[in-house]
Amino acid sequence: MTEAIAAAPRLAVEVGGLRLKNPLIAASGTFGYGVEYAGILDLSSLGGLVSKGLYLAPRDGCATPRIVETPSGLLNAIGLQGVGVRAFVEKVLPALSAYDTAVLVNVCGDTVEEYAEVTRIVDQAEGVAGVEINISCPNVKKGGMAFGGDPRMTSEVVSAVRKATRLPVIPKLSPNVADIAVFARASEEAGADAVSCINTVLGLVVDVEARRPRLAFGTGGLSGPAIRPIAVRMAWQAARAVKIPVIGIGGIACATDALEFLIAGCRAVQIGTANFVDPGVYDRVRDGLADYLRRHGLDDINRVVGTLRYPGLPVAEELGG
Amino acid sequence: MTPINKDAVLVSRQPLGGPYVLLTLRHAEVARASRAGQFVMIKAGTSAEPPLRRPFSILTVDPAAETFRLFLKTIGAGTRALAALAPGDLAQCLGPLGKPFTAPPPGREALLVAGGYGIAPFHLFCEELLRAGGRARVFYGGRTAADLQVREPFAAMGVPLVPTTDDGSLGHHGRVTEAVEQYLDAKTGPVALYACGPDAMLHAVARLAARRSLPAQVSLDPWMGCGVGTCLGCVVWTQSAAEPRAHYRCACTEGPVFDAREVVWPGEDGAR
Repeated sequence: MTEAIAAAPRLAVEVGGLRLKNPLIAASGTFGYGVEYAGILDLSSLGGLVSKGLYLAPRDGCATPRIVETPSGLLNAIGLQGVGVRAFVEKVLPALSAYDTAVLVNVCGDTVEEYAEVTRIVDQAEGVAGVEINISCPNVKKGGMAFGGDPRMTSEVVSAVRKATRLPVIPKLSPNVADIAVFARASEEAGADAVSCINTVLGLVVDVEARRPRLAFGTGGLSGPAIRPIAVRMAWQAARAVKIPVIGIGGIACATDALEFLIAGCRAVQIGTANFVDPGVYDRVRDGLADYLRRHGLDDINRVVGTLRYPGLPVAEELGG
Repeated sequence: MTPINKDAVLVSRQPLGGPYVLLTLRHAEVARASRAGQFVMIKAGTSAEPPLRRPFSILTVDPAAETFRLFLKTIGAGTRALAALAPGDLAQCLGPLGKPFTAPPPGREALLVAGGYGIAPFHLFCEELLRAGGRARVFYGGRTAADLQVREPFAAMGVPLVPTTDDGSLGHHGRVTEAVEQYLDAKTGPVALYACGPDAMLHAVARLAARRSLPAQVSLDPWMGCGVGTCLGCVVWTQSAAEPRAHYRCACTEGPVFDAREVVWPGEDGAR
């Protein structure tokens, strides 16, 4: 074993201009505004965190029930309840400045103009490392997935946000499309610095006694280990379609899960539903990544990115890529 | 205090009748800091299924032994997995969580209204009330006598307990709120109501309290994802004098105990 490998493997990554101390980011909608977990875990141990989705104004979100457990998963329809971007900037961001982690803001809008306006407010604030664009929430009537389900709308929103900030811009793509590569390319062409793949998978759980949906909103977004193979496949497709980095999301609960995304071509990953299950997940995944690198004689996490051995790899066109 | 996330060791397991079980777990911070009405988010082992932890009221604490107890009714996969733990097994446990009950002003008798496993937070609450020189009386309702498993501890504390059952197999034959009404009709001194149980019972207690102009606190038990206010799954539609515009509050961080007047109950004006 060489000296370099005997030392702690390097976990730092660079994603579309974001420099992260490790590739683990807390996913939007599963980590509040970050401060809720202060004291329960060490926020400075995260590569980064993404805020709950923020509009200009506060929002009540969906009626209850909002969550239902499913096999290895969670179906939710929260509807982007939130305090609004100004309250976040004034009250939450200063508290987050105490931690050494990259803070990304998930921006939402009912209109392209609202996305741009929220981004301008975020751009003016201290302590923001990047902007994630929410064009994939399945639980709102306007905006959300309506923008993420049409490549022209995706392009329009990403362009508008691009013009509103010099921060890294990262659209979060929806899996509820026929070909995610089209959306990854539309994002890249519109000036995105990276893409996050994927948001939740549209689902429905039925209460058979009442013959009604379990969720008040009706349908919801499925997350958790149940969607991981779908997410790895879509992140892989996106990574093959664009030159900008891909951030993998979907059912990561341990180091092996994170490695699937990295090997499939993702430069970093986000951890979502697992935050609810175990706030200690980051320590476990980080230690597990380091162990993996040591076992494989590697000194840097970047050396596993995109190393998928896939001899029977279908040509991109066959996958719609 | 900040809730502490760690593996709690199961110290002992005591099956009660039917689906009920008492679990004793070691978690020093929960044992030391918990107040009545607070809860833990807990899951048996680290298996993938079922995915989420479950919230449970803390029944009792033993700070010297660094243990606490939970009273469970096995209903689904989560409770079954917990009830199947053997001594020495681990459970992922975060706590103490949530806002506790607020004791009534001196001289006001606390009437604790429990439905089924809603008895859980009242053991610790009686200990707190008695320690502070207060008085308590428990009204404990269930479908049948077998659902009223936690009675002896109250007798041991000298707290009167009024059992009620839907089938008349024990105590008052009928709803638990009827027994509360009967007591109030015969009583003159000041009281405060506290309730934990099914939503319909909590709503009935809230109506009773409003009708008689009595203070009431209710402990709600919605589906909960995280326990720390991030998933926003457990929200309760509320309204208060301080915040007249109806809004959602998290049962996990701003509850589970709410002033009954501040909950906008389903079917009432302003309900969503």
